Amino acid sequence: MLRRVANHLYWAARYLERAEWRARLLDVNYHLLVESPPGAGGGWVAMLTITGDREEFNARYETGDEASVLGFYTFDEKNLSSIRSCVGLARENCRALRHRISSELWLEINTLYLDAQRWTPGDFAAMGVYGFFSELRERFYRIAGVIQTTISRDVGYDFLAVGRSLECAENITRLLDVKYHVLLPKLEDVGSPLDLSQWAALLRSASALEAYRRAYGNLIRADKVVEILLFDGSFPRAARFCIDRLGAALARVEAGGMHANGFDRVPAAHALGVRLRAGAAPTVIEAGLHEYLLGVQDDCARIGDQVSAEYLKFE
Amino acid sequence: MELSTTASQAGRQAPVFAAYRPPAGMYDEMFSAAGGPHRWCAPVAANLLEMGSAEFASLRAQAERMLLRMGVTFNVYGQTEGAERIFPFDPIPRIIDAETWQTLEAGLIQRVRALNAFVADIYGEAHILKDGLIPHDLILESSQYRRGAVGIAPPGGTFITVAGIDLVRGADGRFYVLEDNARTPSGVSYVIENRLVTTRLMPAALRASRVRSVEGYPADLLASLVELAPGGISRPTVALLTPGPFNSAFFEHVFLSQQMGVELVEGRDLVCVDHKLWMKTVYGLRQVHVLYRRIDDDYLDAVVFRPDSMLGVAGLTAAIRAGSVTIANGIGTGVADDKAVFAYTPEMIRYYLGEQPILPIVETHLLREPEVRATVLRDLDRYVIKPTGASGGYGVVIGPRASDAELAQTRKQIEAAPANYIAQPVVSLSVHPTLVDDGAGGVVLAPRHVDLRPFVLMGARPRVLAGGLTRVALREGSLVVNSSQGGGSKDTWVLDAPC
Repeated sequence: MLRRVANHLYWAARYLERAEWRARLLDVNYHLLVESPPGAGGGWVAMLTITGDREEFNARYETGDEASVLGFYTFDEKNLSSIRSCVGLARENCRALRHRISSELWLEINTLYLDAQRWTPGDFAAMGVYGFFSELRERFYRIAGVIQTTISRDVGYDFLAVGRSLECAENITRLLDVKYHVLLPKLEDVGSPLDLSQWAALLRSASALEAYRRAYGNLIRADKVVEILLFDGSFPRAARFCIDRLGAALARVEAGGMHANGFDRVPAAHALGVRLRAGAAPTVIEAGLHEYLLGVQDDCARIGDQVSAEYLKFE
Repeated sequence: MELSTTASQAGRQAPVFAAYRPPAGMYDEMFSAAGGPHRWCAPVAANLLEMGSAEFASLRAQAERMLLRMGVTFNVYGQTEGAERIFPFDPIPRIIDAETWQTLEAGLIQRVRALNAFVADIYGEAHILKDGLIPHDLILESSQYRRGAVGIAPPGGTFITVAGIDLVRGADGRFYVLEDNARTPSGVSYVIENRLVTTRLMPAALRASRVRSVEGYPADLLASLVELAPGGISRPTVALLTPGPFNSAFFEHVFLSQQMGVELVEGRDLVCVDHKLWMKTVYGLRQVHVLYRRIDDDYLDAVVFRPDSMLGVAGLTAAIRAGSVTIANGIGTGVADDKAVFAYTPEMIRYYLGEQPILPIVETHLLREPEVRATVLRDLDRYVIKPTGASGGYGVVIGPRASDAELAQTRKQIEAAPANYIAQPVVSLSVHPTLVDDGAGGVVLAPRHVDLRPFVLMGARPRVLAGGLTRVALREGSLVVNSSQGGGSKDTWVLDAPC
């Protein structure tokens, strides 16, 4: 497989996943704020800290109100990780590969792109913030389904999986950070109805609430939420599951190469995999969840650098 | 089978085909001058006679839907992105009988052999120039001559691996060579896709006529490329070099690479190291032994040709010279399809092969010669004027159709640089029944001009695709069949056995 082709597939998958997670982040943040008492926590501005966009936002927007932040993350083309930008970049990468991806996949992505070009803030008013993002989420599910059912399981598919898994692992840590930043838990609130409903909203935005209930029952506890979103080996959005899947994809790639396994060329993936498999929620919370999450994000960035240098860089 | 008999049997439901009248003074590909179909067309003609206007319309609509769904499109230069069109397809097949094809095939192979010998000679010892058969300056001043190719000796002396020879049929029913395409001829993917469509649309007629298959072309092309790999390599790596998705023939590049199972590469996927050509894969550099390139010489190697080119790969010419890689077609093959050189091709066949040419060429006048020029300029409106170095129908002026202003402009250009132009008489191209809109929402059959581009492959042995691309000028009376200028195509059926 040509590096150029692998590179396009990898980035198409990353941008699609990133766009989907932006929608999820906005969605959960919206719910947390709607349900919390006025003035609690960091409000919409906290989102900007989580995604590391505060500076860029402040340079172009005057107030951190709901409309501005939603606009910044959804429509703003100057923001390279707005949903519209991500969809556009995913489409650019796919366009270069139209002959290698299925026409069904191209059609889905191109239609989403064309629709995204027409989005206006008025859509939030017309459909409601919840309605807007839930429809968007369905589009992403459809794309995932088309990839699953129309793309041959060759090395190209493996690079799609690498990009998607890495982006997902990184974003699940950002999602967990929402709770930390948006509503700094006060000691007296822990275990309160409000606290519980916030954790439930967070799980729901990761489509993890049902999986949580099956695994841990109806009682929602912080440590169990961390467990299922970071360390679970079977929930498909858990960081550990994602890194396992990434490792498997790299191993399949290397089956055609000269190295014994994929981790020889991407040691950071091996290291993070080991860490997540050994991780336990109580210990991590005790030592500081926020710091742990930042550590995982750093590892993800290192994996991205190593994958690019080893497999994708061609110019 | 007599057309009239069948027509009366078909009766009132089938006026479409019965109303068709072959024009006078031209060769009709389906009907003889007497009015009945040629005997090799009889089974198809009988089949078509049973169809009414609505059925023809539906046939055409189905074909277009199928081609669009298959993504058989081409990009039009100068149009914005997304301007992908399907190459218009006419479902009425063009049929060539077995004996006629046998002669054509022999003539095509002979011709491409001679053209190859010519290119090898020009970049080698240049005997043909020393012997005075062709003037030195005609070659050395040709825009297609590449000094960078001098001394390159590809395996088997094969410079032209893929040739597309454009043929027209005169009023006498004979095929004439109109021009050669020895650089990067395109159109073969339409041949294969068109057949796929007719196989689905008219399976009975296809079977009844015993038509030779065309689907083996990609395998034949790959075999030819492999045979030309540098010596000693048993399983060479082959790649197809495309200028990228914006090229008008990109669909074909995708199609052929997929059919051959070889990597479709762009210049930035390649690199030359140690006089070898490599492609950048996820497993590191992988050596390429044979490169089927679909970009022009000028863009191939920034070291030797245009330094601003991003499409090719720097150092390729040196790698070719070192013998580590073969490219198809070779550098500088355009010298063989130069329109002025064309006039000498019958001589070339006698010179290199010691044979009489099997296929006649369309009479060609070199305007570099003063007396010829004077004669042509006197009756400029009776000739077709072509620039010597161009291809794809660009720059061609058809005298009888040109305005006075165009003729005056052409005259000025000829007088300024006579060596850059040739003149040919206007050939009255053969016609073929073709579906056209009747202006009232229905379709009728009308005669439209056609040509034929067969494809010849030269590996260790020659291989000729049975048939080729029949292009049809869809506008009434138009002689221009190029896809870039409003032409369409037909499936070409070469019959398997004499009928």
